[in-house]
Amino acid sequence: MKDIIRVKSLLSTDVETLLNQQIKKEALSSSIYLSMASWCGRNGYDFSADYFFKQAEEERVHQLKFYKYVLDMGGMAISPEVTNIKLEYNSFREVFEEALDQEISVTQSIKNIAARCHKEQDYVTLEFLNWFFKEQREEEYKARRALELFDVIGEEGTGRWQIDKNVGQIVYTEG
Amino acid sequence: MTNTAIASPIHFEEVFSTKKGSIYQSDSENCWYIDFAGKLARFDYRNLLKLKKAVYNIDIENILLTSDKSADVEIIFICACDHCYVLSLIQIIALKELLQGTFVMLDLNHIIQDRLFRLVV
Repeated sequence: MKDIIRVKSLLSTDVETLLNQQIKKEALSSSIYLSMASWCGRNGYDFSADYFFKQAEEERVHQLKFYKYVLDMGGMAISPEVTNIKLEYNSFREVFEEALDQEISVTQSIKNIAARCHKEQDYVTLEFLNWFFKEQREEEYKARRALELFDVIGEEGTGRWQIDKNVGQIVYTEG
Repeated sequence: MTNTAIASPIHFEEVFSTKKGSIYQSDSENCWYIDFAGKLARFDYRNLLKLKKAVYNIDIENILLTSDKSADVEIIFICACDHCYVLSLIQIIALKELLQGTFVMLDLNHIIQDRLFRLVV
């Protein structure tokens, strides 16, 4: 008897479901960053707004990367519905706290997919995920560094203005 | 004697069956035939997965526990598929059992194919 399911798709149902959840997560991230950009722009933090615009675009690229992988491997990529995006933040600092939380949750979720791939010996998907792990290293660093600026520079006086100016200049260089 | 062209019969292999129905695989057509609820329906790869999803997503427990007067009938309609099932709750449970067994057998077949043919030097 032919193994039709394997012939049609490289991905197991579980991995495909997880990848589709990740597609949704990346789309959600992208929308959240866009919302953060709007908040920053509204409140006079123009450099931070630019920073979040860039982040939103990056998350969108990640989403498409997952999307295309699922399709190329014979799976069904699902275009996600994104709702309930927060519009208001209590403070400038809170925006960056949530940005870091968002990145951490993305890293954890990709780790979860990798764990499943290990279990199923899906080394193909695992190799595909490696690119994202490297990317998350940078993303988490940048988000953590941005938050650090609040402590290093301080929010008093012209502190927030200084923080805003420095956010766009954060670069991650591999040691 | 004239030669009459006879269409070669489709070979079915039983994947799984219960008292309520059976699922067969046709290697030549790359599809499955589901013998259930009084009809034999053909499902290709995409549609079989869609059927699985549709049936698995029915909250059987919830239907059992609701006390409203709605009919205990579910319509399983699959997009871009010629077939549609109108099933009672008992039939849904039977179809779910049939599909679960089928997917276990298809998984097993995958493992056997790997071990016997794909991993042999």
